[in-house]
Amino acid sequence: MAKAKVKKVFLDSLGKQNPVFAQVLGICSTLAVTNVLKNTLVMTMGVVFVTALSNFTVSLMRKVIPSRVRMMVETLIIASYVIIVEIALKAFVPDIWRQLGPYVGLIITNCIIMGRAEAFALSNPAGISLVDGLASGIGYAYVLLIIAFFRELMGSGTIWGYQVMGSWWTNWSIMVMPPGAFFMLAVFIWIVKGLLLTHEEKKS
Amino acid sequence: MKSRFWKERIFPVVFMVAVTVVFISVVSGIYLSTRDMVKLNESLFLKRAVLYAADITVPGKGAAVDKVYRSRVRERLDSEGLVNHFEILEDNEISGYAVFAGGPGLWGKIEAVIGFTEMRDKLTGVEFIKQNETPGLGARIAEEWFKEQFRGKMGPFVLVPEGTAQAEKEVNAITGATRTSNFVLEIINQSLEDIKEGEWPKLR
Repeated sequence: MAKAKVKKVFLDSLGKQNPVFAQVLGICSTLAVTNVLKNTLVMTMGVVFVTALSNFTVSLMRKVIPSRVRMMVETLIIASYVIIVEIALKAFVPDIWRQLGPYVGLIITNCIIMGRAEAFALSNPAGISLVDGLASGIGYAYVLLIIAFFRELMGSGTIWGYQVMGSWWTNWSIMVMPPGAFFMLAVFIWIVKGLLLTHEEKKS
Repeated sequence: MKSRFWKERIFPVVFMVAVTVVFISVVSGIYLSTRDMVKLNESLFLKRAVLYAADITVPGKGAAVDKVYRSRVRERLDSEGLVNHFEILEDNEISGYAVFAGGPGLWGKIEAVIGFTEMRDKLTGVEFIKQNETPGLGARIAEEWFKEQFRGKMGPFVLVPEGTAQAEKEVNAITGATRTSNFVLEIINQSLEDIKEGEWPKLR
């Protein structure tokens, strides 16, 4: 039973309840960081870390947090984890930290994290909340990485900084700019929802 | 009545203060434990930048960078004890200089280290130490091909479309980042003017 619940929570966040394409949350960072694969990976790893641990911590404290200051406590927890991510990047991978600039700090405002803390961690035990946070983070990460893959490929002709397109390829500058992310995200949602919906219809 | 007042008014405040103290202490502890590492990274980054701008091959490892830097660079301080410019040494004779230069960019300030010969007639290199330009577009000013365009040349430079620069004073702009290219050119041309007049360029 417990195993089945863990599995359901995990798979839902990756698929049907995916924070990006089903709930359409965390869009600002989707637009901002997905033009280069390397930055996207570091940013999404940060989000996975913060979502998982903040969910876990909020859940541990859920019985003692007074409901009046609930959101303040959640923000404090999330902000602390984000600052820890930023300090770690600064100390261990300073080059990537320099490239990401203000985006790491902006993880604090990512609505997925607060959303999961409010909707899940406050009413569920710590273990399953950790799984939910982890899955939401991974659900967010893989969508962004797919978008970043195509944006970097079409916008810069490179993958992970390595030139893969030949000299015949003209870079689509718009793919590197925020509008390119809108197009890619919309196409992605269109395809995935189309597939998921037909699947659901068949089931019913 | 008293207990309700405590529960609804006082306890949330006390709780919030306590939680804040705990989390801030943890974050501060992590910050303090990595502070030296971050400082070292920053000073290494600047040393690498100065060596790169002076056209001195930069070794890969930290300790090696330090060694080359100490034998080839002398820091000149201003009256406030901050670095005003760097003297580049060859066999203990001054062979050139490196200075800080900066100006506005598209999203924030752009700062660079600019190296030039002792005769002040040629740039030995340009390295960017601070920039928040759009990743994938303006941030490409940090790419090798863009920076190498200035080495061994004397401006004032003019921008031409990417891939068409031929004459000495022509610089390839970055497609999709014309404004960033313009800002960078302005910083470099202005610095060259200062250098020619015998002044040290400033961070503007």
